Amino acid sequence: MTKKQKKAVVLTAVLSLCLGIVPSVSAMHIMEGYLPVKFCVIWGVICVPFLLAGFFKLRKTIQENRKAITLIAMAGAFVFVLSSLKIPSVTGSCSHMTGTGLGAILFGPAAVSVLGIIVLIFQAILLAHGGLTTLGANTFSMAIAGPFVSFGIYKLCEKLKVNRKVGIFLAACLGDLFTYCVTSIQLAMAYPSESGGAAASAVKFLGVFAPTQIPLAVIEGILTVVIVIGLESFAKPELKMIGFVKEAK
Amino acid sequence: MLTIDKLSYQSKLRYMNAGEKCAFAILTLLVCVISRSIVIAGLVLCLNTFLIVCKSGVSMRRYLHFMEIPIVFLILSTLAIIVNFSRTPLDAFAVQIGSIYITGSWYSLRFGIQLILTALASVSCLYFLSFTTPMTDILQVLKRIHCPELIIELMLLIYRFIFILLDTAHAIMTSQNARLGNCDFKTSCKSFGQMGSTLFLRAFKRSNALYDSMEARCYDGSICVLNENYPPKTMEICLIIVCEVVLAGIVVGLHFFL
Repeated sequence: MTKKQKKAVVLTAVLSLCLGIVPSVSAMHIMEGYLPVKFCVIWGVICVPFLLAGFFKLRKTIQENRKAITLIAMAGAFVFVLSSLKIPSVTGSCSHMTGTGLGAILFGPAAVSVLGIIVLIFQAILLAHGGLTTLGANTFSMAIAGPFVSFGIYKLCEKLKVNRKVGIFLAACLGDLFTYCVTSIQLAMAYPSESGGAAASAVKFLGVFAPTQIPLAVIEGILTVVIVIGLESFAKPELKMIGFVKEAK
Repeated sequence: MLTIDKLSYQSKLRYMNAGEKCAFAILTLLVCVISRSIVIAGLVLCLNTFLIVCKSGVSMRRYLHFMEIPIVFLILSTLAIIVNFSRTPLDAFAVQIGSIYITGSWYSLRFGIQLILTALASVSCLYFLSFTTPMTDILQVLKRIHCPELIIELMLLIYRFIFILLDTAHAIMTSQNARLGNCDFKTSCKSFGQMGSTLFLRAFKRSNALYDSMEARCYDGSICVLNENYPPKTMEICLIIVCEVVLAGIVVGLHFFL
């Protein structure tokens, strides 16, 4: 293919992706009352060990350095505010990012698990995204699974000496995609299809949400990279304090 | 900035005991989610609409606008439940494409409607709580049920910070807009990134300043605030109990007689 042809292919691909976007897309919170009680409880119980680990870690950090409490709270508020702001999108629809990928890269996945559940409660009550009965399922997909994958990919890329920006992009983007896959599987387990069971149902949920979630993940990746570049260029001392750029001294 | 927060402070039910409101919202929510019946969902939806619009004083337009928020999720995921791809057509509808049918059954259609109603009714329970009860009151209820101190403290601080950061973010975004910072997609991505990193920096500085000022006011690990106390009224408690018992009774009745 010549350069022009390649450009044309990419352009049409992007356009066709964007045409699928419906207005007001938020990160994929399962809405209040959508899951049966059994699944609400199961997902809640699955979250408990992660939350406890995160809680003990946070408590230790705060006992060692009491000043950390305002910083951790600020981090939580930062994630919430990022997730409540409209992000730029090509079609002019209104979408929001999760912000947990960035949080996991900056503060580590354990802290994000506890902050995540707090942010999700605030999102449910103040923004009407997600809900109280589905809090367990949402916490697992957004505050545990997503951030852990983001953090893992970020560290892996660092080990493999992949370009830093690419690493951050992949971490945020794949973390988001993983959240979307986990949410689809959660929905599929609760509502298996009449023909084909939970697997067929999972494929359907993945397919239905793909047009909204895939562009969102890409945009989230790009924004996270831009934010981290900005941070590294003029907030180095602060990043050192939270232990983000230890190795870059 | 956060409309729901504003509404909760303006609500006519603001000075009702927060524990009562939480109990009502959560019990109704549970009845709704556990029963999963169309009748209960309809009743709860009507009850909460009445409470929110008439008793709490939220305008109908605003309430409907808020009900639209989860609609995208609701439509997409219910579609995924109702529509099936199968080699054999089901009884409600079937569209043939090649050797595969896009099809659905009456059972799943009915199930879908039930699911939509249950979800909307549950959302109305959540709205009842968030439209009438400010976050600080909810935190007091959490304290009453012995949620860990650290979590409550973090929630309190995060809640306070949200407004400071939102304010800063909006100021930055306004000035970016005024300087054509969102003229095309690439520029707006760049602007958003710059806004994000500046926001982080400001947040960091704020948190340091806040800690210093807390330290100066003898902060020793716990934040003490004076609570306004609105004692529960017997009348209200009775009403809530009657309401829940009636709902539960209908659930049991439907279960045995249908």
